[in-house]
Amino acid sequence: MDRNPKPTSILESLGEEIIRIVAPVSICMLLVVLLVTVLDANSSSDSSSLTTIATIAYNEDTSDSIWDKLKGALLNSLVFVAVVTVVTFVLVLLFYLRCTRFLKLYMGFSAFVVLGFMGGEIALFLIRDFSFPIDCITFLLVLFNFTVVGVMAVFMSKMAILVTQGYLVVIAILVAYWFTLLPEWTTWVLLVAMALYDLAAVLLPGGPLRLLVELAMSRDEDIPALVYEARPVTNHDSSPRPVMVERRVWKERMSLASGMGVSSTSGSNSDFNTNSVFDSNSMSATLSSATNGQNETRLVITGDHLLSEGASQLSAPLISRPLQRTNSTRVGQEEVSTENFHLEGIGLGSSGAIKLGLGDFIFYSVLVGRAAMYDFMTVYACYLAIIAGLGITLMLLAFHQKALPALPVSVLLGVLFYFLTRFLLEVFVVQCSLHLLMF
Amino acid sequence: MTVAAGLGYALAALGPSLSLFVAVISKKPFLILTVLSSTLLWLVSLIALSGLWRAFLPLKSTAWWPYGLLIITSVGFQEGLRILFWKVYKRLEDILDAFADRMSKPRLFLTDKMQIALAGGLGHGLAHAVFFCLSLLTPAFGPATFYVDKCPQIPFFLISEGKRIDQIFVPVIHLVAGMVTLINLASGGCIIGIPLLYFLAVLTLLYCGKLVWRRLTESRSRQ
Repeated sequence: MDRNPKPTSILESLGEEIIRIVAPVSICMLLVVLLVTVLDANSSSDSSSLTTIATIAYNEDTSDSIWDKLKGALLNSLVFVAVVTVVTFVLVLLFYLRCTRFLKLYMGFSAFVVLGFMGGEIALFLIRDFSFPIDCITFLLVLFNFTVVGVMAVFMSKMAILVTQGYLVVIAILVAYWFTLLPEWTTWVLLVAMALYDLAAVLLPGGPLRLLVELAMSRDEDIPALVYEARPVTNHDSSPRPVMVERRVWKERMSLASGMGVSSTSGSNSDFNTNSVFDSNSMSATLSSATNGQNETRLVITGDHLLSEGASQLSAPLISRPLQRTNSTRVGQEEVSTENFHLEGIGLGSSGAIKLGLGDFIFYSVLVGRAAMYDFMTVYACYLAIIAGLGITLMLLAFHQKALPALPVSVLLGVLFYFLTRFLLEVFVVQCSLHLLMF
Repeated sequence: MTVAAGLGYALAALGPSLSLFVAVISKKPFLILTVLSSTLLWLVSLIALSGLWRAFLPLKSTAWWPYGLLIITSVGFQEGLRILFWKVYKRLEDILDAFADRMSKPRLFLTDKMQIALAGGLGHGLAHAVFFCLSLLTPAFGPATFYVDKCPQIPFFLISEGKRIDQIFVPVIHLVAGMVTLINLASGGCIIGIPLLYFLAVLTLLYCGKLVWRRLTESRSRQ
């Protein structure tokens, strides 16, 4: 078919940015589901329970009554959310005192621990399950190299973006897998609690995330964070972009923003290629990216914490929150970075690519991983619910142009669909399939 | 059941959808979004249906009429939803055209419209395939492939805007197909029911193909 004389229709490029963020989220969820199903058979034989922050209040036992389980789960979640709040405030304080170097080092360290220890343990599980023939020394060497490259990818921004993206997704997978090892009720209540905390932290005037945004805005600085950045949309039609200037225009473009909590800047003379999201008629929520000399576009919705915004993404320092140390007996490492990666939220890089905090990745994957422990129907339903929630959040961002949390809609939809599927749909399906009834 | 056999059946159920997806849809991001949203829509419809029927399930009787009622209500509900989907699709086309005008790009081509319709239909087919087939993976086999063939039904429905008879065709086929599965209830029924389903699917495919071809040649002759 001769396509050359035909100009490209808009269908070619519409919605591309959304797909660039939906794809890695889907990959992360898929891999977590795979890990969960593959390692599932052995976890039941593994009787030692996980002692982490999330279970210090109460450790679920299958023989407890429903009320006890519920109370225990609530208690666990409250403790967890409290810890997260405290640590976030500490982060805000450190940021206020300009201890950025410390935060940077801490983030590198936490990436090291996640990749090295958590990744190592999961690798050991897999090796044990599949009787993979490998000796200690090779294993350690490979693991060490893998970890070091990961730390560099996360720490330094001069790596190939694919490598950085891959490592971020791997970190999210590892942390999410460890979260799925929590007892069931605790996981569900924890997810809902985190979604609500997210909502509060970003929208309430005293919320830590809001403070962080304001601080960063007033100082015109980067916020330390661990984020995933989708590849910038390149379009051959656009004129070559000028070199990005190292400036963040938080304040200049406040005309479109409303109030302090907003950190949205709109692009001025946008290249036409990515379309403005402020167009309410638009079906896609692609955010406009205009880099034209000094102007940068930035639209930030924050989840738990904010994203770092570098003028040129490549040199953005990525810093995470302080580690949470515990004296847990089993593996103190797994909850080590639970707080580090609570950096959720969606934002827009200066090159126009959408950024999503790792915490979002993690909690979405935890939800789907938990659903996988029940049945594939629930996985399917929860996956669709989460993607729908993500889409809705992007659209809300388009309309409100305010700092918005990325967790609540998706998680609440996901939980809703899980319970609906589990209790309603499953009976229906079983009925129909038993008699080979189809429609 | 072994992993290999299970994987084989899963692929039989989802194979054509997957190949369609990779070949046509994965190139255009908007179509991926359309597939996802249409799958979501049908999933919601199935959940609503199951919610409706929850009180009456599990059906204990062995007579066929409760099941018949089940199928009739389900199909009716889904057809109603399909009409709604069609309206939204029309609106979507207008919005996209307005958008394209603003971007000073050409309006949606006919192939574009068909692709969107195809994506929608694929989502529908996918939702049904997962719903009915994946849960059957362990005990059953065979019925898997039917749902994949259902995906042409939506593009068919959407493109058949001109003629009334075409529009009726789809709901009728849906209903007939549903009823045919009732035959499966009879003990030896499988043997009759499933080939009939295949036959219906092929019939639908042929009709749809003819329609698409007709539209394409019409538009080409018009240009």
